[in-house]
Amino acid sequence: MSEAMVEFAAAPPSTGGGGLLRRLNLLTAVAGGVLFAAIGWYISHRIMQLGDFGSDRVVTITLICWALGFMVGIGAFAGPLRWLLGRDQEHEDEMFLAGKDQGIGRYFRFTTDHKVVGIQYLVVTMVLFAVGGTLAMTIRTNLITPNSGFLGPQTYNAVVGIHGLVMIIATIVMVTGPFGNFIMPIMIGARDMAFPRLNALSLWLLVAAVPILLSAAFLGGIPTGWTGYAPLADQAPPGMDAYTMTIIVFAMSSAIAGVNITTTALTMRARGMTWSRTPIFVYGVVASVGLAIPAFPMFMSAEVLLGMDRSFGAQFYVAAGGGSPWLYTNLFWLMGHPEVYVIVLPAVIALMEITPVFTRKPLFGFNVAVLSIVGIVGLSVMVWAHHMFTTGWAPDLNGSFMLTTELISIPTGLLFLVIIGTIWRGRVWTTLPMMAVYAMLWNFIIGGVTGIYLSDVPADYALHGSMFVTAHFHYTLMGAGLTGAIGALFYWFPKMTGRMINKRAGLVSFWLVQIGFNVTFMGMFAVGLAGQPRRVVHYDHLFAVGNFVSTMGAYCIGVGMLILLYAVVSSWRHGAVAPANPWGAKTLEWAVPNPIPLENFEVLPVVISDPYGYGEGDPVLPPTQRELVPVGAPRDPVAEDDTETSQS
Amino acid sequence: MTIPAQVGGRVRSWMNRPEMRGVFWIWAAMTAVLVVFSLYVPARLMGPPASPTMHAVENTMTVFTVAASPVAAAVWSVALYSLLAWRHRGSGQPETDGPPIRGNTPVTALWLVLSSLLCVFLLIWGLAAMQSVTAAAAGRVPLQVNVVGQQWLWSFSYPGQGDIETDQLYLPIDQPVVFHVTSKDVVHSFWVVQMGIKIDANPGETTVTNVTPNKLGTFVVRCAELCGLLHADMEAAVHVVSADDFAAWARGRRSPPVESSPPK
Repeated sequence: MSEAMVEFAAAPPSTGGGGLLRRLNLLTAVAGGVLFAAIGWYISHRIMQLGDFGSDRVVTITLICWALGFMVGIGAFAGPLRWLLGRDQEHEDEMFLAGKDQGIGRYFRFTTDHKVVGIQYLVVTMVLFAVGGTLAMTIRTNLITPNSGFLGPQTYNAVVGIHGLVMIIATIVMVTGPFGNFIMPIMIGARDMAFPRLNALSLWLLVAAVPILLSAAFLGGIPTGWTGYAPLADQAPPGMDAYTMTIIVFAMSSAIAGVNITTTALTMRARGMTWSRTPIFVYGVVASVGLAIPAFPMFMSAEVLLGMDRSFGAQFYVAAGGGSPWLYTNLFWLMGHPEVYVIVLPAVIALMEITPVFTRKPLFGFNVAVLSIVGIVGLSVMVWAHHMFTTGWAPDLNGSFMLTTELISIPTGLLFLVIIGTIWRGRVWTTLPMMAVYAMLWNFIIGGVTGIYLSDVPADYALHGSMFVTAHFHYTLMGAGLTGAIGALFYWFPKMTGRMINKRAGLVSFWLVQIGFNVTFMGMFAVGLAGQPRRVVHYDHLFAVGNFVSTMGAYCIGVGMLILLYAVVSSWRHGAVAPANPWGAKTLEWAVPNPIPLENFEVLPVVISDPYGYGEGDPVLPPTQRELVPVGAPRDPVAEDDTETSQS
Repeated sequence: MTIPAQVGGRVRSWMNRPEMRGVFWIWAAMTAVLVVFSLYVPARLMGPPASPTMHAVENTMTVFTVAASPVAAAVWSVALYSLLAWRHRGSGQPETDGPPIRGNTPVTALWLVLSSLLCVFLLIWGLAAMQSVTAAAAGRVPLQVNVVGQQWLWSFSYPGQGDIETDQLYLPIDQPVVFHVTSKDVVHSFWVVQMGIKIDANPGETTVTNVTPNKLGTFVVRCAELCGLLHADMEAAVHVVSADDFAAWARGRRSPPVESSPPK
């Protein structure tokens, strides 16, 4: 990285027109956002007198203006504008946009290089986890005793809502953002994404949404939980307008990312990379973003209607005005259930990609894995009303939704078979990424089995809305999802940063997080079964022990995550320099040198087999490597050393 | 005759392989532990049931946990065995690769069939339980109780008993009760914890649920849907009393309250 900066200082890029465009960065974006927001506020509040200082209309208009101004300031509209004026970008402009020969500055502007976007996503995800995790610690501190009084009910509800939404957004982007953007294109042998400018657009829309979401904290919070159920949302403070705007901007971001990633995987795979030679991680990423494409517009429409309810008295969800709360719950869960697979699938499948590398065996049942992914994707859009068994909406459908929900356990079970089949008789190399695989096998079984109780209609009548549900979905989204994302980070860290991660700190953080996690949510299962509702600021003395245990476990997770943060930051800055292929893996991203050149491949590779040929043929020069390795890159993963990589 | 013998022979030779025996014993031990856990822990954590519905739910929890035990143990025993027997002990990459097993059709088919059968069992069990919960109320004329949720309290009225209104629920034992639930403002959820029933209170709609209390005592109604500031305080007591006590209570509430007359 420092090497690149020296180069930048020695040879500044030639300025070939579009001078203003080249000066836009995160600072001008924030300035643009603040300026537009101030103008929007002034016009709506002072000139048009649409409402008081903090009224719904004024807040909504101000937040829309912030998002617009931010996107103008980052330069998102520059390309389309030039095109409208009849001038397209010249080659040099494209190279500038891709961040050619620029130092660290390219991470703070509208850069189209997919590797830069991937790193940007990684940092945004980490920031979101830091915020959401801090809020989680606050919640658990409040629940340490039955009546701790640490937070008042108003603050508590606000904190719970913001924690939920921050974590949902963080977990949605945690795999497809960093690894889907950075790794996936190299993995399929492409030079960049299909639509590099859309790639940067999706990232900066997400960045624009983050301050909107955090502004909710200063606008009365999100006192509805992350679900934002109407009509409670209709009477909530303007923090709820921040909620609706966050979702609208984030839905645009994820729809754009979804279209871009899907198109890339469909059309830009290297010559010879047939579907049966495509790495399984690509399937996971496409399944995830492909599900997001139909799911998030539902969420967006739900929030547009909610915003109209709040600002203009539209009464879509107000029974007295002819609306229905069930309209909201349906729209919400039509997004909400596919969304959990948007989160879990790529994380679990990243671990599935990791398993063959660290067992030195081919993936067990590649076709079974692909069919399972297809099955899960297909079924996941047909199960949404299992979140609504107790709402009273269409009770006659409960049996059908119980059926579809329980059917999902069949393809999900096959994913487990694929992983343990791959481990079977392997040479198990227990590195940090492989440890994440084992942790996921433990956590996801528990998350899955407790999900089966909740799919059973009578059991759900007893358990719905209790801490049991909270513990269940943390076991899936965190125990499987976040564990998978951390495993993926450990695995691809050497490729993304060019450094090896600090193994000792990684180990300490792994054990603290996993043990703390299980303690926290086992305690939560117990109090949920005993009858503690979700989202309560204080509770009966009956639940005191379980909650105390949960809080202690949560602190353990908190310390573990801080150590993980230290491991990432310190190793990124001065960890040991990583060889190009430290794990001896056979997918294409390990065949490019460190640091990865701007367009990844000098010569596009031709693929002649799938990347799982462990134990088949010559172990020193496996058949895949023979044709795949581009000219000039190290050919032999075993005999590689640091000096060789620093030359390239 | 010969095919079963062949299959039997193959299974026997399979079971003689050391890894199969190791995994089998770990699996058997884990399954045993998990089954014992299933029989004692989940239902006990849920507490003594106060209705046949809750009894059925606790049975479901026990049976599902028992059914899940061998499956969970299958995954975990392979994982544990792989760490004990197949772990590469060295700092670097393993020198040799593992056996190139790309799949195993009989194992996959067996896994698919077993998990499908398990899924069918869960479904039939669930449908039967749903049926029995509704059938239980069909026998006798139920006592109707209208439930209204509002921020942040519950109120109950008894239309068959001269519209008594109360903020604590009184129910006669062994008498089917049907609750007609609605809300005055936002969505609440009417949850009689120890009886295992829950239904949302929606503004502008009436939802229905029913239960037959079968245990004397005082229980609790909690709100199970976040409903604003004092959601955590939205509780009410449920008193299950004998039929005679219930009749006496209802009489007392209908006539002008005797207790309010000044004492002599």
